[in-house]
Amino acid sequence: MELITFISGIIREALAKKIILSIFLFFSLIILFIVFAATNDSVAGMLTFLEASGGNADYRSAVIFFESNITSKIPMFMMIAFYLIIVSSFIPSMLQKGHIDLLLSKPISRTKIVLGHLLAGTAFAFLSSLFLLGTIWIIVSVKTGIWHVPFLYSIVWFTFIFLTLYSFVILIGLLTKNTILNILINLILFFPFSWIFYLLNEVTKKGEQFFSFNAVTEFIIKFFYYILPKPWDLADLCENSIKGESLGSVQPIITSLLFIGIMVSLSIWYFNKKDY
Amino acid sequence: MSVITIDNLKKEYSSRNFSAKKILALDGVSFEIGEGEIFGLLGPNGAGKTTLIKVLLGITFPTSGSGKLFDKDLNDVKTKTRIGYLPENHSFPNYFTGEQVLHHFGKLSGMSSEDVKLKSAEYLNIVGMKEWAKVKIRKYSKGMMQRIGLAQAMINNPDLIFLDEPTDGVDPIGRKEIRDVLLNLKSQGKTIFLNSHLLSETELICDRVAILNKGKLIKEGRVEDITSTDSYAFITSGLTDEVYNSLMNNYKAVIQSRNNFLIPANNLEEVNTIIDFLRSKNIMIQSVSKEKITLESKFINLIEHKL
Repeated sequence: MELITFISGIIREALAKKIILSIFLFFSLIILFIVFAATNDSVAGMLTFLEASGGNADYRSAVIFFESNITSKIPMFMMIAFYLIIVSSFIPSMLQKGHIDLLLSKPISRTKIVLGHLLAGTAFAFLSSLFLLGTIWIIVSVKTGIWHVPFLYSIVWFTFIFLTLYSFVILIGLLTKNTILNILINLILFFPFSWIFYLLNEVTKKGEQFFSFNAVTEFIIKFFYYILPKPWDLADLCENSIKGESLGSVQPIITSLLFIGIMVSLSIWYFNKKDY
Repeated sequence: MSVITIDNLKKEYSSRNFSAKKILALDGVSFEIGEGEIFGLLGPNGAGKTTLIKVLLGITFPTSGSGKLFDKDLNDVKTKTRIGYLPENHSFPNYFTGEQVLHHFGKLSGMSSEDVKLKSAEYLNIVGMKEWAKVKIRKYSKGMMQRIGLAQAMINNPDLIFLDEPTDGVDPIGRKEIRDVLLNLKSQGKTIFLNSHLLSETELICDRVAILNKGKLIKEGRVEDITSTDSYAFITSGLTDEVYNSLMNNYKAVIQSRNNFLIPANNLEEVNTIIDFLRSKNIMIQSVSKEKITLESKFINLIEHKL
């Protein structure tokens, strides 16, 4: 029960800081834009584009193409970055002198406090994505008559991508106690850091098709690629699942899960030994 | 039964400038606090008072030594359902109303919604904040924040309450009201651990006090024992020069005025010897009492190593 109270406290904080209202308004604007953009004409335009690209296109695949573009890397980056900026203040706000003392004097363990933050942040990302992507799906489906359910998988993918990065937000928040620093470090990790290693790894996968790295450089690239979170690879998997294609390698899912596990464990360990 | 037991507690902090130098905040502190006591922890700024409370509450971890609350380890989370705490310079989320502060922290203390609702009304009334219950706390004055903080510390009906400077920023009437609240809690058998700079107040309500200086416990005991001295105050009439000189030379009397003087005496036998001497000289004795000093004077003397 204490954990639920703690999580509801974080949600109350988000409400009080007008975070939820801002998200609602911002996402409503995007939805309005989609209402006007998702017309039969725009789908027909995509159909033409697909045909011109040499594909054997039909109306359904044009709708799927439209939907997969909505959840492609750039919109994904903007949405997740937006979430990260918002949640970065939660931990430093909790660690304020006079507040953390009181919280730690209550019968709630430090481990539960970290997990409570993780759950609250993830629930926030899931519900926000559900509102935005769910509404977009309904609008596109009603307007086109194509009810493409796999588009809704993007809600889970986006939540998972957010969770991967949010586990790092929690650790940095505990270490720095500073919202601005937390936002900066996390955004740098998200873009360009993990993006660069995503691209370099793509190049190494292609082998000598373009150009090859020497063994040491390739080892360094692989090393950083595997230890960093993989929002860009996960975005590829999201796109594949929307298109109904095979996911391919599940390595990004496994390494991201490991990343989450390590970040959360480090956060719990650090928070449990830290004096306040 | 001991509510708080600490044994040789030490706390070292690393200095922030990457040097190996350590700051010793607590240096082998040991004492026990029994059920139903009001215990005052005194000391100058930086003596380690807040650190000690934080160690007891598991907010900070001791470097060495051990402690128990209700015979349970300091890190036992469940014990905290029996504890209330008002930190110094507390900062409640300013988007809460007074009522919401009590609701939030009451629930975090493991109370049910019904209990919190019931107790909130009761404690808001006790601390005189009923009228302000639905006002956002960002509009509260310092004194009002302390009152709501005190209600928050009591909301879960704790057996042990830690109060760090509870009357800070509160006006004299408010301080009297808080004192009455604390005495009422004591009458209910609650144990109160009070950390305060206001020594006159501490003297009024505490059963026992401990004085901490530079992390070391330099004095601990009952207030009346700490404030008592080895001297007895005599008020007489008709003191002659001969007796006057004799008292100074033979009994080391400290004359305060012609008929008022202090004489050091280790026991009642010595006091009676002096009375016999005075009576043999036909001196009228109006009163004899054990001399006391204020807690503040004692505190200052101890800190300045005068005693």
